[in-house]
Amino acid sequence: MIRRLMILGYFIMGGACSRKRDQQVEDILNRGVSGKYSKSSSSKWLATSLSRSGSDVKRRNGERPSLLELCVRKIHEDIDRYTTFSDLPRDISQQIFDELVYSQRLNLKSLEAFRDCAIHDLNLGEYPGVNDEWMDVISSQSTSLLSVDFSGSDITDSGLVSLRGCKNLESLNFNFCDQISNRGLEHLSGLSNLTSLSFRRNGAITAQGMRAFSGLVNMKKLDLEKCPGIHGGLVHLRDLTKLESLNIKWCNCITDADMEPISELKNLRSLQICCSRITDYGISYLKGLNKLNLLNLEGCRHVTAACLDTLTGLMFLNLNRCNFSDSGCEKFSGECYLASSQLKVMALLCGKLCGFNQFKDLKLGNEQHYKFMLGLTKLESLNLDSCRIGDEGLVHLSGMLGLKSLELSDTEVGSHGLRHLSGLSNLESINLSFTVVTDSGLRKLSGLTSLRTLNLDARHVTDAGLSALTSLTGLTHLDLFGARITDSGTNYLRNLKKLESLEICGGGLTDAGVKNIKDLSSLTLLNLSQNSNLTDKTLELISGLTGLVSLNVSNSRVSNSGLRHLKPLKNLRSLTLESCKVSANDIRKLQATDLPNLVNFRPE
Amino acid sequence: MRETVKLISMEGFEFVIDREAAMVSQTIRSMLTSPGGFSESKDGVVTFPDISTTILEKICQYFYWSLQYSRGKETEFQIEPELTLELMMAANYLHT
Repeated sequence: MIRRLMILGYFIMGGACSRKRDQQVEDILNRGVSGKYSKSSSSKWLATSLSRSGSDVKRRNGERPSLLELCVRKIHEDIDRYTTFSDLPRDISQQIFDELVYSQRLNLKSLEAFRDCAIHDLNLGEYPGVNDEWMDVISSQSTSLLSVDFSGSDITDSGLVSLRGCKNLESLNFNFCDQISNRGLEHLSGLSNLTSLSFRRNGAITAQGMRAFSGLVNMKKLDLEKCPGIHGGLVHLRDLTKLESLNIKWCNCITDADMEPISELKNLRSLQICCSRITDYGISYLKGLNKLNLLNLEGCRHVTAACLDTLTGLMFLNLNRCNFSDSGCEKFSGECYLASSQLKVMALLCGKLCGFNQFKDLKLGNEQHYKFMLGLTKLESLNLDSCRIGDEGLVHLSGMLGLKSLELSDTEVGSHGLRHLSGLSNLESINLSFTVVTDSGLRKLSGLTSLRTLNLDARHVTDAGLSALTSLTGLTHLDLFGARITDSGTNYLRNLKKLESLEICGGGLTDAGVKNIKDLSSLTLLNLSQNSNLTDKTLELISGLTGLVSLNVSNSRVSNSGLRHLKPLKNLRSLTLESCKVSANDIRKLQATDLPNLVNFRPE
Repeated sequence: MRETVKLISMEGFEFVIDREAAMVSQTIRSMLTSPGGFSESKDGVVTFPDISTTILEKICQYFYWSLQYSRGKETEFQIEPELTLELMMAANYLHT
């Protein structure tokens, strides 16, 4: 329900606000594993290039550039001069290549200079224009080539033929390559050094094509997310005994029968089977997988609590939208599970799950089962997004002293319950968006000085509430998207010098308030959209925030004549000025003369 | 008196520069500071049989530019396009 509202909100607000929720929902289970902070943005390209650019931004902030870096930059400025880099040492041509990809200056013509350069890694994920014509130069790297990311490209089955000679390939990514089918997979069957292979969202791969995987005996990580045709194909993975991670979530076709071959994969540590048709019987095949520590069963509607007693090594478990509802209790097998009263079922769940007290990351979508969490004292990450938990429920969290990340978005939590969180001094991240938390409650958070990320995208939060945040000087990410913040509230943000991202989009801000933000020099992302009284003065004020990578001042009175103030923002990669008196042409001019790194802007 | 070092190019051309400037290069730094081992650390003379005079001159310019940069004078460092590749290989060798 809320998600749909969000999409609606997107249109109402003129497409100006890109929310991060979808991604968060998607990534929450992985967060503990990858540890990567991913911030969403309106374009996929930007998201990947932003994460790529981490080191880049840093070095441009104060750190003097090395001569090597200066040379690399110089080369990509006049790339057309160069016909070959094959005389350069490999690590240098690799750097030039990466820089060209980063700055989006690589095309079929400039690629030619990289023929026979013995490059190791070609990270072309989401890069525009990659197709079969690129394969010739790519495959000329021959046995030096270790990894290629083709995701989102137009590579076809016949393009894959040229990879046959790249015998040392360890990692291939073909996510979102919708022109690759079973025929293409055949060409990969001899690449037995592959340890990682990814084919997300491919509708053409079937069991027949997966035969090509059977000889890839060094495979450690296989990703077939959103491949709806793979039912029956997992039998070809039987011999891949080194496999540690298998992602077959959202394939919608996986059944109990598919689980049988998985039972042989003794090294499996991570298994994601969201939205499959498996039942507890299918899960029973996992019994002997002693190394399994991550299991994602989100949306497996036929899976019940009965399957959990066999899985004792788990550290990460996602049971969101599984069959744990009251009506589902009747389907539990065994006499204990036939308990009619809900209390017993909860107690039972408690008993079952207390044994798993090494849990580090848990996601629950199901409302009333939070009591058993009392036993989960080692929990580090808890996601209760959209659960029916309110102020009183939070008392069950007060003992989780190891908790670092807590997601309470879309819950009934209000100010009264936050006192139960006051003692969780290890908390680094709290999401209280779409809750009924008010200003008075925020005082309970003021002692949580480990906090780095705080989401207060909630309408009851106002200026007064921010006064409680002044002690949280470690904050790096603060989201006040829908909070009702005015100029006086921003006074309280002045000392949050470590802030890297800040969103204030409640409509109450004027140029006077922006004055308090202008010295937050660590900011890389600033979203001040929907504050319709902001003028060109705002752009002038923030012109000293040279670390900014992403800026949004949509739906304001910003005009073309204010754009000149953005000239010092050399790191800017994304600029959104929808519904302002700004034309795409003027932004384009600015991009050409002063903002070389700008890859994404609106209006366009 | 400020301490200097001598850098000698492929063609035998000698550049006398401040020791502090030369230390911008990690490679030269370790040559000049490692105890015992390198004769360079005693004499303050480093010979580069693979680096041409033109390139070595550019590199010395970079050393001084780099010092200014870290003192807050952030100017642009000009690189002639025809030197870029050769300069790059030298920069790679000098960890600079």
